Amino acid sequence: MSGEKFSLYNYHKTFDKDILISFKGPFDKHILAIIGNYIEVILGRNPKAGKKIFKIFIELAQNIAYYSAEGKSNFNTESGIGTLVIGEFDNHYSFVAGNVVKASDIVHIIEKSEIINSLDREGLRQYKREQRNLPQGERGSAHIGLIQVALTAASPLDIEVSPINEEYSFFTISVNVEK
Amino acid sequence: MENLEIKGSRDVYFVPSVDFNVETGSCVLGGESYLEETVKFYMPLYEWLKKFTSEVKKTIEFNFKLTYFNTSSSRCILDILNILKDYEENGGDVKVNWYYDSEDTDMEEEVEDYMIESELKINLIPT
Repeated sequence: MSGEKFSLYNYHKTFDKDILISFKGPFDKHILAIIGNYIEVILGRNPKAGKKIFKIFIELAQNIAYYSAEGKSNFNTESGIGTLVIGEFDNHYSFVAGNVVKASDIVHIIEKSEIINSLDREGLRQYKREQRNLPQGERGSAHIGLIQVALTAASPLDIEVSPINEEYSFFTISVNVEK
Repeated sequence: MENLEIKGSRDVYFVPSVDFNVETGSCVLGGESYLEETVKFYMPLYEWLKKFTSEVKKTIEFNFKLTYFNTSSSRCILDILNILKDYEENGGDVKVNWYYDSEDTDMEEEVEDYMIESELKINLIPT
């Protein structure tokens, strides 16, 4: 954060819809457990969508915890920092997660996301099976997670990349889950 | 060789319940699987199955009763199915059942994918 005073009111105004949760901070395992429980409780009234949201949450949260370029002073000593917003609309829930990514890694993530979005459900299942069958070590773990997110949401991955500077970009992924 | 029993729990991570019985050859993996060190957890399960299939060589009835697993667990489950498939190919008698909530179509698809990947017959049992 720069030297200017942080306006909580501006932050508050950013959200004009029904927000079930918004969080920015370290994707620490204890925090993830609390958010995970909370998702299960609040979405208990819609167990099918709730379970999907929970599954998406776990996959994307783990990606952020492991791969966010923000927050890790040393390898594995801290959890990555990321941002998460879950919103509720008339017919769907929206799930948005984002984190800082090294600019050099972004091309690869976008390529994978484009492959995922180009496939229909059967194609996606086949792609997942292929990736899962790769020998240990070759398995690009973040990507199986993304494939699973697309399958679980049954909707395309909406990807956005906002360059921060030459070295880093902010990567946002949004998916909708029907109620 | 001894039975392998692990009590399932649900805290920061979700530990699945494990009940592998040497005497009956009945193996149950149930509950939810989301672990801090997934491969480390599943390693003793692989070892038990490999030992059973090479030393005891009785019929295995493997019953999956998982209601949730994350993608890293899903790879370990595939590894279990591959061990069972190897046993079957080498003349072992294997029966695999997968109990699932009949409304959970995602789980049904998941099991179908496992059947394609492992080439093992899995009986889908809606509950």
